[in-house]
Amino acid sequence: MKHAPDLSRRRMLLGGAALGAGALLTACTSNEPDEPSGGGAQTVAAGSNGNAAPGEKVTIGFSAPAADHGWIAAITKNAKAQAGTYSDVEFKTVEAGGDAAAQRAALQTLIAQKPSIIVLLPHDGKELNAFGLEAMEAGIPVVNLDRAFPDPLAYRLQIKGDNYGMGVSAAHYIIEQMKAKNVASPVIGEIAGMDELELTQERSKGFTDTLTQAGFKVANRRAARFTADTGQQEAASLLQALPKMDALWNHDDDQGIGVLAAITQANRSEFIMVGGAGSLKAIQDIQADKSVLKATVTYSPSMASSAISLARLIAQNKGMSDLVELQVPKEIILASETITKENASNYLKLGF
Amino acid sequence: MTAQTAPAPVKEPEHSAPEKRSWWRDDASESMRRNLGLVGVLIALIVVGIITKPDLYSDGAWVRSNIFTILELASVIGVVTVGMTFVIIGGGIDLSVGAIIALAGVWSTTLATQDLGPGGMIFCALAVGIGVGVVNGILISYGRLVAFIATLAMLVAARGLAAQLSDKQTQVSNSDFINGLAANDFLGVPVLVYILAAVVAAGWVLLNRTTFGRRTVAVGGNPEAARLAGINVKRHTLLLYALSGLCCGIAAIMLTSQANSAQAAMANLYELDAIAAAIIGGTLLSGGRGTIIGSLLGVLVFSTITNLFAINNLSTEVQNMVKGGIIVAAVLVQQVQFKSLSQFFAKNNKITTS
Amino acid sequence: MTETTEDQSAEVVLRLTDVVKTFPGVRALDGVQLEVRAGEVHCLLGQNGAGKSTLIKVLAGVHRPDEGQIEWLGQDFAPANPQAAMKAGIATIYQELDLVEDLSVSENAFLGHEPRAFGFVRRGFMARHTREILGKLGHAEIPPSRLVRSLPAAGKQVVSMARALSHDARLIIMDEPSAVLAHDEVANLFRIIRGLTAQGIAVIYISHRLEEIREIGDRVTVLKDGRTTAANLPARSTPTRDLVSRMTGRTIEYVFPEPVPAVSGAEELLRVEGLTRSGEFADVSLTVHSGEIVGIAGLVGSGRSELLETIFGARRSEAGTVRMAGKVLRPGSVSAAVRAGLGMAPEERKSQALLLGEPIYRNVTLSTFSEYARAGFTNAGREIDEANRIADQLDLRPRDVRRAVRTLSGGNQQKVVVGRWLLGDTRLLLLDEPTRGVDVGARAELYQVIRDLAAQGVGVLLVSSEVPEVLGLADRVLVMREGRMVHEAPAGQIDEDTVLDLVMAGSLQVEEVTI
Repeated sequence: MKHAPDLSRRRMLLGGAALGAGALLTACTSNEPDEPSGGGAQTVAAGSNGNAAPGEKVTIGFSAPAADHGWIAAITKNAKAQAGTYSDVEFKTVEAGGDAAAQRAALQTLIAQKPSIIVLLPHDGKELNAFGLEAMEAGIPVVNLDRAFPDPLAYRLQIKGDNYGMGVSAAHYIIEQMKAKNVASPVIGEIAGMDELELTQERSKGFTDTLTQAGFKVANRRAARFTADTGQQEAASLLQALPKMDALWNHDDDQGIGVLAAITQANRSEFIMVGGAGSLKAIQDIQADKSVLKATVTYSPSMASSAISLARLIAQNKGMSDLVELQVPKEIILASETITKENASNYLKLGF
Repeated sequence: MTAQTAPAPVKEPEHSAPEKRSWWRDDASESMRRNLGLVGVLIALIVVGIITKPDLYSDGAWVRSNIFTILELASVIGVVTVGMTFVIIGGGIDLSVGAIIALAGVWSTTLATQDLGPGGMIFCALAVGIGVGVVNGILISYGRLVAFIATLAMLVAARGLAAQLSDKQTQVSNSDFINGLAANDFLGVPVLVYILAAVVAAGWVLLNRTTFGRRTVAVGGNPEAARLAGINVKRHTLLLYALSGLCCGIAAIMLTSQANSAQAAMANLYELDAIAAAIIGGTLLSGGRGTIIGSLLGVLVFSTITNLFAINNLSTEVQNMVKGGIIVAAVLVQQVQFKSLSQFFAKNNKITTS
Repeated sequence: MTETTEDQSAEVVLRLTDVVKTFPGVRALDGVQLEVRAGEVHCLLGQNGAGKSTLIKVLAGVHRPDEGQIEWLGQDFAPANPQAAMKAGIATIYQELDLVEDLSVSENAFLGHEPRAFGFVRRGFMARHTREILGKLGHAEIPPSRLVRSLPAAGKQVVSMARALSHDARLIIMDEPSAVLAHDEVANLFRIIRGLTAQGIAVIYISHRLEEIREIGDRVTVLKDGRTTAANLPARSTPTRDLVSRMTGRTIEYVFPEPVPAVSGAEELLRVEGLTRSGEFADVSLTVHSGEIVGIAGLVGSGRSELLETIFGARRSEAGTVRMAGKVLRPGSVSAAVRAGLGMAPEERKSQALLLGEPIYRNVTLSTFSEYARAGFTNAGREIDEANRIADQLDLRPRDVRRAVRTLSGGNQQKVVVGRWLLGDTRLLLLDEPTRGVDVGARAELYQVIRDLAAQGVGVLLVSSEVPEVLGLADRVLVMREGRMVHEAPAGQIDEDTVLDLVMAGSLQVEEVTI
């Protein structure tokens, strides 16, 4: 009996400690910066021509897969921000869940709300082709974002990045740098993204095709999974496999955080590194020029902003003011641009 | 022959039994023998490396740095596997380890936490790890959920919460201290390797030298017997999942340090790697048997394979197939050993079958 | 008497002559004679351990006899496996029904021999056939497509019988079929059995309940210690005393240690009052004093093991109290019981008490290792010393306490379990079937151990289905039947016949009614 009060006091102390820890933890969930940092991450197309003036009211329906990494998150964010700049646009978004089937279901509810136009980043272009056809037949134009429908009748506008072109741009930059440094047969490494995705294969193909033309080849290629921790692991292995390297292309700037960490951890700096996609952090790093990262080739989520503004024009039956045509074109493929120290400042606003 | 056998003294079989025992019949030696087998596999892998890449292996400095690369690659999974080994020996399974790492990593790299400095970040990671582990434990021991289901649910939920907290973004760690854990050496050995060594040593002591370890074996080997011997099986089960959570918290700091960042998708499928490593290390999936050293060797075998495939520029797909093959082979070998052992006992100790 | 002459004319389907089956350390069957005729209900009677289960398994093809002859339908019979016995027409319905709960009635009835056509199961044919068989059994109302899970115990038994009939069985062995049934269901079972015998099918019926044997049986064979002590007695007219006397007075004399005269005024250790768990036992009260051995006699299913586990806190009581040395124990808490000085050797040694792969010393110290630990660190040296001490005290063989417990014989494993509680401050030991699976020599040793413990002042509450064991070891005997204490007497004032009679549902009274 003598121990009972001790025990309860100990329990109370423990309980108190647990509560305190809980309160502290809850306070730790905030991600709001203390001071306003330089600009949000969203990209918004500034309207500087007549098309920006408010027109007919339109409803834009939007659907993209649940974001599992930065790029997709930036897509949704950009789309929302762009829509917000127009007083004549009502923006309706549905989360597309985990797979193509879930997205199809979500899109059905979207159709029921009778939007003027649908902007859609499908889980898989082939699997959602039928939906595109259906919506087009029902008179709702579809703007396909990045993942192409095989059937031309399934979309009104297709706007996408150029995966093959990314590889080409990265290779061009590396070839140029190697020639400038007079390296005859450089050791080139590659950290790819998720290998089972077609886009990864396209990127790698563009890269190797272009290198082959210049007589170069990839010495070692590791595939990460678009996450920083896998980027670090694969890069650590790659660095170990290539004790001396001249150039490295990493497909994705998000996983590049890990790749750069591995490079720092291994104390390596004898090579140049090219990134991919164009995240804000990568562009800032390039501008600061303190790491091996010298360039990145874009695959910008800014395409979502463009898609929304073009969708508005289509719904309002307007054309692009810089083009002679009275309608928005059917297909737009964004060029993969190369961001270097010299032009980095222009791209900061596009970084995600 | 008859002249020899005739004067042989008639021994009571019971008394002669201890002398007759050969070294491999001892249970401790049995796990030692299995571990030696794994060391053999490790050596074989390194020999393959030497044969395929003699140019690299001829450089002493490179070999040294390669050993550390393998150890660092093994460090995060290794820490997780120590916790997992306890849970499995205790008769459970924890499928949520990868998700706990992601949640702890994300929680400790929010801007609010990073403001508290490295101490705050480490506290956060450990507290989140233990907290989630305790929730797992309560669901399993007091809520009577099957471990597989409870931790599967936790896997989904914890990753969801991590995605919510991080707003699906990669959260960069700006703490030089945290990032330095993976970048810095101490006396020529990477800091992460020290952490791995410390966790493995602590795990070994905990399992083999403490009452906690003894309860773990009892609870996993025969929960009913443990209960009827007066051991509080429910509380101990809860503690096992909390321990696994703690290991995940430590691993979250290490992985954040390695990647200089944390995100909801980090530590993907670590649960499978940890379970596989524990199993090829000789941990019985049904509980009651396993060793920390065996689990460590299991992790090292996997990271050595990864390293071997990387230096030979072979694709991840082939690597995964080889890993799968090794898991099956390891379990098959153990089954054969166990069978032959029990047959041996059946033959020699007829009296036990009465 | 007229019935007996009818039986004489009926064909003998099964004849066993001098059948012997030996297991290591045990002669389970030691010359069994049995004769079963077509269309009769032949009852097998005997105490636990008399060899009934082994005999059934020999007939069902699970075990092969070492010696002797089995003649089935006039031919030598040696089934290689249970399937062969089934095919030959001998079906066995075990006490634990071996049905697949998630299959339908017809799928269970034809399990393992489904009618097939071109590799597909002929479901329609199977359903039709099952319906036919169920009709024969008088249970046409059970739909063949119903899941077995959803049937009550009696229904499941009918399905088991349907399975037997689906094989065209000519002999059906029923092992205590009434144990799982309620009273009115038993009447129905008997109607089914009568229907079967009318078709010429022979039934071997095993039951502990004498009144059932009198109602349904034609002839009785009594087994004791693996031998037939009486064959083909008329079931209805043999006096109960004759039957019981042939089951008792076992020939293997156990060496029981001399009882120590009870110390008058010994401290009362355990007091159980009104302890109840519905469906298991009700309103049980008992006491155990320091240095006293109290034995509970009862059949499997009488609630005795459940009672012991409830006293120990492994099951939570619904009503009533357990007091240890005057203090009420928290219900459902083993640790509270252990702290109060209780220890238990459970019924299923391997599954409830031992870590088979772990060394002996760790099993011995399983409930005390924390006491030897310092700051959470175990003290292996001390544990081994303590285990050695126990091993010496109990004469454990082999003596090497680092060996895995798995390698020990049953008797020595039991010593490990008992030894575990000698280490702590155990003042009251609950022993559930302490000598099950233990050979004769080791039994005597265990009895001595138990007696020695009592002499040291430990109270013992012992449960056993072997009446001589209870009588030989206990100072006081309690008889339990169907969840209730029905009798209490000092050991010297009650004999085996009386206990057996009380255990078997008071058949002496039944006899008086029939006479």
